[in-house]
Amino acid sequence: MAELDAVIHQPVRLKIMAALKALPINEQIEFVRLRKLVEATEGNLGAHIQTLEQAGYVAVEKDFADNRPRTRVKLTKQGRRAFEDYVAYLRGIISPES
Amino acid sequence: MDPITINPQEAADALKQADAAERRSARAYVYQRFAPYLLLWGLIWVAGYGATDLVPRVAGWIWLGLVLVALAVSMAIGRRAEPGRLGPKSNWRYSLFFVAVWAFFASTYAVMAPVSGMQQGAFPPLVVAFIYILLGLWTGPRLVIAGLVVGALTLGGFFYLPQHFLLWEGFVGGGALILAGLWFRRV
Repeated sequence: MAELDAVIHQPVRLKIMAALKALPINEQIEFVRLRKLVEATEGNLGAHIQTLEQAGYVAVEKDFADNRPRTRVKLTKQGRRAFEDYVAYLRGIISPES
Repeated sequence: MDPITINPQEAADALKQADAAERRSARAYVYQRFAPYLLLWGLIWVAGYGATDLVPRVAGWIWLGLVLVALAVSMAIGRRAEPGRLGPKSNWRYSLFFVAVWAFFASTYAVMAPVSGMQQGAFPPLVVAFIYILLGLWTGPRLVIAGLVVGALTLGGFFYLPQHFLLWEGFVGGGALILAGLWFRRV
């Protein structure tokens, strides 16, 4: 990666990506749980999820569970790769020789 | 948009944030997966130990029935958590898992015999507590706490309330598992 990924390099989005990366591949997490995990407000999280979705890093699925609307988010293959590249880039800054 | 430039300190801070979020999420995931099983076994303990105290003569049959129910519910929980991923092989794994657990306790009682009903009742919760503590050392402190609480309550009931031990184990031990299950569901 030639430069820092500006989409990921934002505190809330970084937490979102890291939280999603910790889950098994293709595992979805409910929006409500994700909000608690990254300690963001509903509106704030929604806006950042939208940015990540537009970049193709996360996929959002909306449906109904027990007659209640449910929003679930998961990391895409592209998002997983981008996050790994982002982490590698940061490590490269810390230890340029590695 | 101009490329962002950051210094090594900022990079280290970002990595630290990412690492903390990743660890928190991984732990929450493990807890979430454990929660339904804790709730299930809490209910099984309440029913099993309670019934054993009321009708000890048929305790073996009661537990056999409850374990079969637990097996079926565990499989349903597994399927719900991983739809499409659990095939027929998983059914066999679940079944063999329960057979292995059953065989472990039956053989342990056989080699330790003679054991009293109270000892038989105390041993499984102590093994469960021990396993939770070991798993918790690698996955998260909530499991360690749940294991310590269940183990301490079991030992407390065994030594200080022997006349009501089965009821104690059912309602206090089982209740502790149910509370732990509810706690594990929270982020």
